[in-house]
Amino acid sequence: MNRNPLTVSVNGAEHVLSVPGDRRLLDLLRDELGLMGVREGCGVGACGTCTVLLDGVPVNACLTLAVTTRGRSVTTIEGLARDGELHPVQQAFLEERGFQCGFCTPGMILTAVGLLRENPSPTVEEVTDYLGGNLCRCAGYPDMIRAVLRGAERCREAGGRPSATPEGPEAARLRAMGKGEEG
Amino acid sequence: MGFDLLEPRTVAEAVELHARDGNAVFLAGGTALLILQRQGLPLPRRLISLRGIPGLDEITAGPGGGLRIGALATLRQVERHPLVVRRVPLLAEALRQVANVRVRHTATLGGNLAHGDYRLDPPAPLLVLGAQVRAVGIGGEREIALAAFFRGLFETALQPGEVVTELAIPPTPPSGGTYLKYALSSNDWPCVGAAALVALDDHGRCREVRLALTAVAAAPVLVRGLDELARGEPVSDRLAARLADIAAAQVEPVGDQRGSEWYKREMARVFARRALLAAARRAEAGPVGDGTKEPVA
Repeated sequence: MNRNPLTVSVNGAEHVLSVPGDRRLLDLLRDELGLMGVREGCGVGACGTCTVLLDGVPVNACLTLAVTTRGRSVTTIEGLARDGELHPVQQAFLEERGFQCGFCTPGMILTAVGLLRENPSPTVEEVTDYLGGNLCRCAGYPDMIRAVLRGAERCREAGGRPSATPEGPEAARLRAMGKGEEG
Repeated sequence: MGFDLLEPRTVAEAVELHARDGNAVFLAGGTALLILQRQGLPLPRRLISLRGIPGLDEITAGPGGGLRIGALATLRQVERHPLVVRRVPLLAEALRQVANVRVRHTATLGGNLAHGDYRLDPPAPLLVLGAQVRAVGIGGEREIALAAFFRGLFETALQPGEVVTELAIPPTPPSGGTYLKYALSSNDWPCVGAAALVALDDHGRCREVRLALTAVAAAPVLVRGLDELARGEPVSDRLAARLADIAAAQVEPVGDQRGSEWYKREMARVFARRALLAAARRAEAGPVGDGTKEPVA
Protein backbone atom coordinates (compact mmCIF):
# COMPACT_ATOMS: atom_id res chain seq x y z
CA MET A 1 0.00 0.00 0.00
CA ASN A 2 1.24 3.46 -0.81
CA ARG A 3 1.41 5.52 2.29
CA ASN A 4 -0.24 8.90 2.09
CA PRO A 5 0.87 11.91 4.12
CA LEU A 6 -1.72 13.07 6.61
CA THR A 7 -1.68 16.04 8.94
CA VAL A 8 -4.69 16.04 11.21
CA SER A 9 -5.63 17.56 14.54
CA VAL A 10 -6.85 14.96 17.04
CA ASN A 11 -8.19 16.16 20.37
CA GLY A 12 -6.39 19.45 19.89
CA ALA A 13 -2.96 17.98 19.10
CA GLU A 14 -1.57 18.07 15.59
CA HIS A 15 -0.35 14.73 14.22
CA VAL A 16 1.87 14.37 11.17
CA LEU A 17 1.32 10.84 9.94
CA SER A 18 1.77 8.59 6.97
CA VAL A 19 -1.15 6.23 6.44
CA PRO A 20 -2.16 3.57 3.93
CA GLY A 21 -4.82 5.03 1.68
CA ASP A 22 -7.46 2.45 2.55
CA ARG A 23 -7.14 2.85 6.32
CA ARG A 24 -10.34 3.86 8.04
CA LEU A 25 -10.31 6.72 10.52
CA LEU A 26 -11.55 4.19 13.09
CA ASP A 27 -8.42 2.04 12.73
CA LEU A 28 -6.10 5.03 12.68
CA LEU A 29 -7.52 6.36 15.95
CA ARG A 30 -7.48 3.00 17.74
CA ASP A 31 -4.41 1.23 16.36
CA GLU A 32 -2.02 4.11 15.75
CA LEU A 33 -3.14 6.71 18.28
CA GLY A 34 -4.41 4.32 20.97
CA LEU A 35 -7.77 6.05 21.38
CA MET A 36 -9.82 3.06 22.53
CA GLY A 37 -12.94 5.11 23.25
CA VAL A 38 -13.65 4.83 19.51
CA ARG A 39 -15.30 1.42 19.14
CA GLU A 40 -16.31 -0.73 16.27
CA GLY A 41 -19.80 -2.14 16.50
CA CYS A 42 -21.39 -2.84 13.13
CA GLY A 43 -18.72 -1.38 10.83
CA VAL A 44 -21.36 -0.16 8.37
CA GLY A 45 -22.49 3.12 9.89
CA ALA A 46 -25.61 1.80 11.57
CA CYS A 47 -24.82 1.57 15.30
CA GLY A 48 -23.01 4.77 16.26
CA THR A 49 -20.37 3.34 18.62
CA CYS A 50 -17.52 4.70 16.45
CA THR A 51 -18.90 8.25 16.41
CA VAL A 52 -16.31 11.03 16.43
CA LEU A 53 -16.67 14.75 15.86
CA LEU A 54 -15.11 15.83 12.57
CA ASP A 55 -14.85 19.63 12.55
CA GLY A 56 -17.42 19.52 15.33
CA VAL A 57 -19.94 17.40 13.44
CA PRO A 58 -20.68 13.77 14.41
CA VAL A 59 -19.70 11.21 11.77
CA ASN A 60 -18.98 7.48 11.66
CA ALA A 61 -15.24 6.77 11.93
CA CYS A 62 -15.94 3.40 10.27
CA LEU A 63 -17.22 5.10 7.10
CA THR A 64 -14.47 7.71 6.90
CA LEU A 65 -11.15 7.15 5.15
CA ALA A 66 -8.36 8.51 7.31
CA VAL A 67 -6.74 10.34 4.40
CA THR A 68 -9.89 12.39 3.85
CA THR A 69 -9.44 14.05 7.27
CA ARG A 70 -6.36 15.92 6.05
CA GLY A 71 -6.23 19.38 7.62
CA ARG A 72 -9.36 18.76 9.67
CA SER A 73 -10.09 18.44 13.36
CA VAL A 74 -11.15 15.18 15.03
CA THR A 75 -12.51 14.92 18.58
CA THR A 76 -12.95 11.59 20.37
CA ILE A 77 -14.38 10.97 23.82
CA GLU A 78 -10.83 11.25 25.19
CA GLY A 79 -10.74 14.87 24.05
CA LEU A 80 -13.89 16.16 25.72
CA ALA A 81 -12.74 16.70 29.31
CA ARG A 82 -10.80 19.90 30.02
CA ASP A 83 -8.16 20.20 32.76
CA GLY A 84 -9.43 17.11 34.55
CA GLU A 85 -13.00 18.36 34.47
CA LEU A 86 -15.60 16.35 32.60
CA HIS A 87 -17.57 17.94 29.79
CA PRO A 88 -21.05 18.97 31.02
CA VAL A 89 -22.64 16.24 28.90
CA GLN A 90 -20.29 13.60 30.38
CA GLN A 91 -21.12 14.85 33.87
CA ALA A 92 -24.83 14.69 33.09
CA PHE A 93 -24.51 11.08 31.87
CA LEU A 94 -22.89 10.19 35.20
CA GLU A 95 -25.58 11.92 37.24
CA GLU A 96 -28.47 10.47 35.26
CA ARG A 97 -26.78 7.04 35.09
CA GLY A 98 -27.03 7.24 31.31
CA PHE A 99 -25.18 3.98 30.73
CA GLN A 100 -24.95 0.38 31.85
CA CYS A 101 -22.18 -1.61 30.17
CA GLY A 102 -20.72 1.57 28.66
CA PHE A 103 -19.86 0.25 25.21
CA CYS A 104 -22.11 2.69 23.37
CA THR A 105 -21.49 5.59 25.77
CA PRO A 106 -18.69 7.45 23.90
CA GLY A 107 -20.78 7.45 20.74
CA MET A 108 -23.88 8.57 22.60
CA ILE A 109 -22.07 11.44 24.32
CA LEU A 110 -20.31 12.66 21.17
CA THR A 111 -23.54 12.53 19.19
CA ALA A 112 -25.25 14.48 21.99
CA VAL A 113 -22.47 17.10 21.92
CA GLY A 114 -22.97 17.36 18.15
CA LEU A 115 -26.69 17.90 18.67
CA LEU A 116 -26.13 20.63 21.26
CA ARG A 117 -23.73 22.46 18.96
CA GLU A 118 -26.54 22.70 16.41
CA ASN A 119 -29.41 23.09 18.81
CA PRO A 120 -28.65 24.22 22.39
CA SER A 121 -32.24 23.66 23.61
CA PRO A 122 -33.53 20.45 22.06
CA THR A 123 -36.92 18.95 22.88
CA VAL A 124 -37.26 15.30 23.91
CA GLU A 125 -38.39 14.53 20.34
CA GLU A 126 -35.35 16.25 18.87
CA VAL A 127 -33.01 14.34 21.19
CA THR A 128 -34.70 11.04 20.35
CA ASP A 129 -34.52 11.79 16.64
CA TYR A 130 -30.86 12.83 16.66
CA LEU A 131 -29.74 9.92 18.83
CA GLY A 132 -31.93 7.53 16.83
CA GLY A 133 -28.91 6.06 15.06
CA ASN A 134 -26.99 5.24 18.25
CA LEU A 135 -27.82 1.76 19.44
CA CYS A 136 -27.68 0.53 23.05
CA ARG A 137 -28.10 -3.17 23.77
CA CYS A 138 -28.71 -2.48 27.46
CA ALA A 139 -31.60 -0.26 26.30
CA GLY A 140 -31.10 2.48 28.85
CA TYR A 141 -32.52 5.07 26.49
CA PRO A 142 -34.77 7.04 28.90
CA ASP A 143 -31.80 7.70 31.21
CA MET A 144 -29.70 8.83 28.26
CA ILE A 145 -32.37 11.20 27.00
CA ARG A 146 -32.62 12.73 30.47
CA ALA A 147 -28.82 12.98 30.54
CA VAL A 148 -28.75 14.86 27.24
CA LEU A 149 -31.44 17.28 28.43
CA ARG A 150 -29.53 17.87 31.67
CA GLY A 151 -26.30 18.28 29.71
CA ALA A 152 -28.02 20.86 27.51
CA GLU A 153 -29.13 22.76 30.60
CA ARG A 154 -25.61 22.75 32.02
CA CYS A 155 -24.11 23.94 28.75
CA ARG A 156 -26.61 26.79 28.62
CA GLU A 157 -25.89 27.72 32.25
CA ALA A 158 -22.18 27.70 31.53
CA GLY A 159 -23.03 30.05 28.65
CA GLY A 160 -20.38 28.45 26.49
CA ARG A 161 -20.35 26.28 23.46
CA PRO A 162 -21.03 22.62 24.17
CA SER A 163 -17.54 21.75 23.00
CA ALA A 164 -14.15 23.39 23.00
CA THR A 165 -13.44 21.84 19.61
CA PRO A 166 -12.39 24.36 16.98
CA GLU A 167 -15.34 25.32 14.87
CA GLY A 168 -14.98 23.79 11.41
CA PRO A 169 -16.60 25.24 8.31
CA GLU A 170 -19.13 22.39 8.23
CA ALA A 171 -20.33 23.06 11.76
CA ALA A 172 -20.49 26.80 11.12
CA ARG A 173 -22.54 26.21 7.98
CA LEU A 174 -24.98 23.89 9.70
CA ARG A 175 -25.38 26.30 12.56
CA ALA A 176 -26.01 29.19 10.18
CA MET A 177 -28.63 27.11 8.43
CA GLY A 178 -30.36 26.37 11.72
CA LYS A 179 -30.61 30.10 12.36
CA GLY A 180 -31.90 30.66 8.84
CA GLU A 181 -34.75 28.23 9.42
CA GLU A 182 -36.12 30.25 12.26
CA GLY A 183 -36.06 33.46 10.23
CA MET B 1 -0.03 -2.46 -4.88
CA GLY B 2 -0.33 1.27 -4.52
CA PHE B 3 -3.23 3.27 -3.32
CA ASP B 4 -3.61 6.93 -3.96
CA LEU B 5 -6.07 9.59 -3.07
CA LEU B 6 -6.00 12.26 -5.74
CA GLU B 7 -7.34 15.66 -4.80
CA PRO B 8 -8.10 17.80 -7.84
CA ARG B 9 -9.11 21.44 -7.36
CA THR B 10 -11.44 21.71 -10.36
CA VAL B 11 -13.99 19.48 -12.06
CA ALA B 12 -11.97 19.68 -15.29
CA GLU B 13 -8.92 18.41 -13.46
CA ALA B 14 -10.94 15.55 -11.89
CA VAL B 15 -12.25 14.45 -15.26
CA GLU B 16 -8.75 14.69 -16.73
CA LEU B 17 -7.36 12.48 -13.96
CA HIS B 18 -9.96 9.85 -14.73
CA ALA B 19 -9.12 9.97 -18.43
CA ARG B 20 -5.57 9.01 -17.50
CA ASP B 21 -6.66 6.05 -15.35
CA GLY B 22 -10.00 4.54 -16.28
CA ASN B 23 -9.94 2.29 -13.19
CA ALA B 24 -9.97 5.24 -10.83
CA VAL B 25 -13.21 5.92 -8.96
CA PHE B 26 -14.64 9.29 -7.96
CA LEU B 27 -15.00 9.73 -4.20
CA ALA B 28 -17.64 12.03 -2.71
CA GLY B 29 -18.80 11.28 0.86
CA GLY B 30 -17.44 7.75 0.65
CA THR B 31 -20.10 6.06 2.81
CA ALA B 32 -21.32 3.67 0.09
CA LEU B 33 -17.76 2.86 -0.96
CA LEU B 34 -16.70 1.96 2.57
CA ILE B 35 -19.76 -0.22 3.08
CA LEU B 36 -18.85 -2.06 -0.12
CA GLN B 37 -15.31 -2.47 1.17
CA ARG B 38 -16.68 -3.88 4.39
CA GLN B 39 -18.75 -6.33 2.37
CA GLY B 40 -15.58 -7.64 0.77
CA LEU B 41 -15.17 -5.59 -2.40
CA PRO B 42 -11.62 -4.22 -2.52
CA LEU B 43 -11.30 -0.46 -2.80
CA PRO B 44 -10.10 0.79 -6.17
CA ARG B 45 -6.39 1.63 -6.17
CA ARG B 46 -6.97 5.19 -7.10
CA LEU B 47 -9.68 7.45 -5.74
CA ILE B 48 -10.35 10.89 -7.14
CA SER B 49 -11.75 12.90 -4.26
CA LEU B 50 -14.20 15.60 -5.25
CA ARG B 51 -14.34 17.09 -1.75
CA GLY B 52 -11.66 19.68 -2.30
CA ILE B 53 -13.28 21.26 -5.34
CA PRO B 54 -14.53 24.68 -4.25
CA GLY B 55 -18.19 25.49 -4.78
CA LEU B 56 -19.36 21.97 -5.55
CA ASP B 57 -21.52 21.87 -2.41
CA GLU B 58 -23.38 25.12 -2.93
CA ILE B 59 -27.16 25.36 -2.76
CA THR B 60 -28.63 28.30 -4.63
CA ALA B 61 -31.98 29.59 -5.85
CA GLY B 62 -32.82 28.68 -9.42
CA PRO B 63 -34.91 30.76 -11.79
CA GLY B 64 -38.60 31.16 -10.96
CA GLY B 65 -38.62 29.30 -7.67
CA GLY B 66 -36.40 26.36 -8.54
CA LEU B 67 -33.20 25.25 -6.86
CA ARG B 68 -29.68 24.24 -7.75
CA ILE B 69 -27.94 21.81 -5.41
CA GLY B 70 -24.23 21.12 -5.78
CA ALA B 71 -23.48 17.40 -6.01
CA LEU B 72 -21.13 17.48 -3.02
CA ALA B 73 -23.70 18.99 -0.62
CA THR B 74 -24.21 16.50 2.19
CA LEU B 75 -27.70 15.12 2.75
CA ARG B 76 -27.73 16.99 6.05
CA GLN B 77 -26.78 20.31 4.44
CA VAL B 78 -29.61 19.86 1.96
CA GLU B 79 -32.26 18.83 4.50
CA ARG B 80 -31.51 21.86 6.70
CA HIS B 81 -31.04 24.47 4.01
CA PRO B 82 -33.70 27.21 4.32
CA LEU B 83 -34.25 27.30 0.54
CA VAL B 84 -34.89 23.56 0.47
CA VAL B 85 -37.15 23.66 3.52
CA ARG B 86 -39.17 26.51 1.97
CA ARG B 87 -39.30 25.61 -1.71
CA VAL B 88 -39.20 21.80 -1.70
CA PRO B 89 -40.20 20.65 1.79
CA LEU B 90 -40.88 17.23 0.27
CA LEU B 91 -37.14 16.77 -0.29
CA ALA B 92 -36.24 17.87 3.25
CA GLU B 93 -38.88 15.51 4.65
CA ALA B 94 -37.43 12.59 2.69
CA LEU B 95 -33.79 13.30 3.53
CA ARG B 96 -34.58 13.44 7.24
CA GLN B 97 -35.57 9.78 6.93
CA VAL B 98 -32.27 8.60 5.41
CA ALA B 99 -30.11 6.36 7.63
CA ASN B 100 -28.94 8.36 10.66
CA VAL B 101 -27.62 11.84 11.24
CA ARG B 102 -23.94 10.77 11.06
CA VAL B 103 -24.35 9.15 7.67
CA ARG B 104 -26.23 12.24 6.47
CA HIS B 105 -23.36 14.44 7.68
CA THR B 106 -21.05 12.51 5.34
CA ALA B 107 -23.03 11.17 2.38
CA THR B 108 -23.64 13.57 -0.50
CA LEU B 109 -26.66 14.00 -2.74
CA GLY B 110 -24.64 13.58 -5.94
CA GLY B 111 -22.92 10.47 -4.59
CA ASN B 112 -26.26 9.02 -3.56
CA LEU B 113 -27.58 9.31 -7.12
CA ALA B 114 -24.39 8.17 -8.86
CA HIS B 115 -24.28 5.07 -6.64
CA GLY B 116 -27.43 3.80 -8.38
CA ASP B 117 -28.55 1.57 -5.51
CA TYR B 118 -32.18 0.44 -5.94
CA ARG B 119 -33.25 1.03 -2.35
CA LEU B 120 -32.18 4.60 -1.61
CA ASP B 121 -34.66 7.21 -0.43
CA PRO B 122 -33.57 10.46 -2.19
CA PRO B 123 -34.31 9.35 -5.78
CA ALA B 124 -38.07 9.10 -5.09
CA PRO B 125 -38.69 12.73 -4.06
CA LEU B 126 -36.23 13.97 -6.70
CA LEU B 127 -38.08 12.04 -9.41
CA VAL B 128 -41.44 13.60 -8.54
CA LEU B 129 -39.77 17.02 -8.40
CA GLY B 130 -38.54 16.51 -11.98
CA ALA B 131 -34.86 16.97 -11.09
CA GLN B 132 -32.19 17.25 -13.77
CA VAL B 133 -28.69 15.87 -13.25
CA ARG B 134 -25.78 17.90 -14.59
CA ALA B 135 -22.80 15.71 -15.47
CA VAL B 136 -19.35 16.59 -16.74
CA GLY B 137 -17.11 14.24 -18.69
CA ILE B 138 -14.05 14.54 -20.84
CA GLY B 139 -16.33 15.42 -23.77
CA GLY B 140 -18.09 18.25 -21.98
CA GLU B 141 -21.17 18.91 -19.92
CA ARG B 142 -24.71 17.60 -20.30
CA GLU B 143 -28.02 17.52 -18.48
CA ILE B 144 -29.83 14.27 -17.89
CA ALA B 145 -33.43 14.11 -16.68
CA LEU B 146 -33.44 12.06 -13.50
CA ALA B 147 -36.30 10.05 -15.01
CA ALA B 148 -33.80 8.83 -17.64
CA PHE B 149 -30.86 8.55 -15.23
CA PHE B 150 -31.54 5.25 -13.47
CA ARG B 151 -31.08 2.37 -15.86
CA GLY B 152 -30.95 -0.75 -13.71
CA LEU B 153 -29.33 -2.34 -10.69
CA PHE B 154 -26.39 -0.04 -9.80
CA GLU B 155 -26.54 1.20 -13.37
CA THR B 156 -27.01 4.85 -14.33
CA ALA B 157 -26.83 6.90 -17.50
CA LEU B 158 -23.40 8.20 -16.46
CA GLN B 159 -20.62 7.27 -18.85
CA PRO B 160 -17.31 6.05 -17.42
CA GLY B 161 -15.39 9.12 -16.32
CA GLU B 162 -18.47 11.31 -16.07
CA VAL B 163 -19.06 13.03 -12.76
CA VAL B 164 -22.29 14.47 -11.34
CA THR B 165 -21.74 18.14 -10.52
CA GLU B 166 -25.19 19.51 -9.80
CA LEU B 167 -28.88 18.83 -9.47
CA ALA B 168 -31.37 21.30 -10.83
CA ILE B 169 -34.89 21.22 -9.42
CA PRO B 170 -37.38 23.18 -11.52
CA PRO B 171 -40.13 25.26 -9.92
CA THR B 172 -42.98 23.07 -8.68
CA PRO B 173 -46.64 23.94 -9.30
CA PRO B 174 -48.62 24.89 -6.15
CA SER B 175 -49.02 21.46 -4.65
CA GLY B 176 -48.78 19.21 -1.63
CA GLY B 177 -46.08 16.59 -1.34
CA THR B 178 -44.98 13.83 0.98
CA TYR B 179 -42.51 10.97 1.28
CA LEU B 180 -43.61 7.87 3.15
CA LYS B 181 -40.98 5.34 4.08
CA TYR B 182 -41.86 1.85 5.17
CA ALA B 183 -38.84 0.22 6.81
CA LEU B 184 -38.12 -2.51 9.34
CA SER B 185 -36.42 0.04 11.59
CA SER B 186 -36.23 3.80 11.29
CA ASN B 187 -32.55 3.85 10.23
CA ASP B 188 -32.81 1.06 7.71
CA TRP B 189 -33.10 1.11 3.95
CA PRO B 190 -36.75 1.10 2.95
CA CYS B 191 -38.83 -1.97 2.17
CA VAL B 192 -40.81 0.53 0.11
CA GLY B 193 -40.53 4.31 -0.24
CA ALA B 194 -43.26 6.40 -1.87
CA ALA B 195 -43.02 10.07 -2.86
CA ALA B 196 -46.15 11.86 -4.05
CA LEU B 197 -46.89 15.34 -5.30
CA VAL B 198 -50.48 16.44 -5.92
CA ALA B 199 -51.61 19.74 -7.44
CA LEU B 200 -55.30 20.68 -7.19
CA ASP B 201 -57.36 23.22 -9.12
CA ASP B 202 -59.59 25.86 -7.50
CA HIS B 203 -62.40 23.34 -7.12
CA GLY B 204 -60.21 20.81 -5.32
CA ARG B 205 -59.92 18.55 -8.36
CA CYS B 206 -56.67 16.97 -9.43
CA ARG B 207 -54.63 19.09 -11.79
CA GLU B 208 -51.48 17.00 -11.67
CA VAL B 209 -50.45 13.84 -9.81
CA ARG B 210 -46.88 12.60 -9.56
CA LEU B 211 -45.69 9.47 -7.78
CA ALA B 212 -42.33 7.72 -7.50
CA LEU B 213 -41.44 4.51 -5.68
CA THR B 214 -38.11 3.21 -4.46
CA ALA B 215 -36.82 -0.22 -3.41
CA VAL B 216 -39.48 -2.00 -5.48
CA ALA B 217 -37.58 -2.54 -8.75
CA ALA B 218 -33.98 -2.73 -9.94
CA ALA B 219 -34.11 1.07 -10.20
CA PRO B 220 -36.39 3.76 -8.73
CA VAL B 221 -39.73 4.00 -10.55
CA LEU B 222 -41.47 7.18 -11.71
CA VAL B 223 -45.03 5.96 -12.17
CA ARG B 224 -46.54 6.77 -15.58
CA GLY B 225 -50.08 7.40 -16.69
CA LEU B 226 -51.62 8.74 -13.48
CA ASP B 227 -52.78 12.07 -14.88
CA GLU B 228 -54.94 10.40 -17.55
CA LEU B 229 -57.07 8.93 -14.80
CA ALA B 230 -56.76 11.65 -12.18
CA ARG B 231 -57.00 14.97 -14.03
CA GLY B 232 -60.22 16.78 -13.23
CA GLU B 233 -61.26 14.20 -10.65
CA PRO B 234 -61.97 15.06 -7.03
CA VAL B 235 -59.66 13.42 -4.51
CA SER B 236 -61.22 10.33 -3.00
CA ASP B 237 -60.19 7.06 -1.42
CA ARG B 238 -61.47 5.29 -4.51
CA LEU B 239 -59.38 7.42 -6.88
CA ALA B 240 -56.27 6.94 -4.74
CA ALA B 241 -56.84 3.17 -4.72
CA ARG B 242 -57.15 3.08 -8.52
CA LEU B 243 -53.97 5.17 -8.92
CA ALA B 244 -52.18 2.87 -6.49
CA ASP B 245 -53.21 -0.11 -8.61
CA ILE B 246 -51.58 1.55 -11.63
CA ALA B 247 -48.41 2.04 -9.55
CA ALA B 248 -48.37 -1.56 -8.32
CA ALA B 249 -48.57 -2.76 -11.92
CA GLN B 250 -45.44 -0.80 -12.82
CA VAL B 251 -43.11 -2.07 -10.09
CA GLU B 252 -40.91 -5.12 -10.53
CA PRO B 253 -39.68 -5.86 -7.03
CA VAL B 254 -36.51 -7.73 -6.30
CA GLY B 255 -37.15 -9.72 -3.15
CA ASP B 256 -34.67 -8.86 -0.41
CA GLN B 257 -34.43 -9.26 3.35
CA ARG B 258 -36.96 -6.44 3.73
CA GLY B 259 -39.69 -8.18 1.82
CA SER B 260 -40.47 -10.78 -0.83
CA GLU B 261 -41.42 -9.81 -4.36
CA TRP B 262 -45.12 -10.30 -3.57
CA TYR B 263 -44.95 -8.41 -0.27
CA LYS B 264 -43.13 -5.45 -1.77
CA ARG B 265 -45.65 -5.15 -4.57
CA GLU B 266 -48.53 -5.14 -2.10
CA MET B 267 -46.77 -2.63 0.16
CA ALA B 268 -46.04 -0.47 -2.89
CA ARG B 269 -49.81 -0.41 -3.48
CA VAL B 270 -50.56 0.47 0.15
CA PHE B 271 -47.91 3.20 0.48
CA ALA B 272 -48.66 4.67 -2.95
CA ARG B 273 -52.29 5.12 -1.88
CA ARG B 274 -51.37 6.59 1.50
CA ALA B 275 -48.79 8.94 0.00
CA LEU B 276 -51.24 10.22 -2.63
CA LEU B 277 -53.92 10.91 -0.03
CA ALA B 278 -51.45 12.59 2.34
CA ALA B 279 -50.08 14.78 -0.46
CA ALA B 280 -53.62 15.73 -1.51
CA ARG B 281 -54.49 16.69 2.07
CA ARG B 282 -51.44 18.94 2.15
CA ALA B 283 -52.40 20.47 -1.18
CA GLU B 284 -55.84 21.26 0.28
CA ALA B 285 -54.40 22.65 3.52
CA GLY B 286 -51.89 24.99 1.90
CA PRO B 287 -49.98 24.32 -1.27
CA VAL B 288 -46.28 25.03 -1.67
CA GLY B 289 -44.69 26.13 -4.92
CA ASP B 290 -45.04 28.78 -7.60
CA GLY B 291 -47.59 31.45 -6.94
CA THR B 292 -47.68 30.88 -3.19
CA LYS B 293 -46.31 33.66 -1.10
CA GLU B 294 -42.96 32.82 0.38
CA PRO B 295 -42.31 33.86 3.96
CA VAL B 296 -39.79 36.65 4.29
CA ALA B 297 -36.45 35.20 5.35
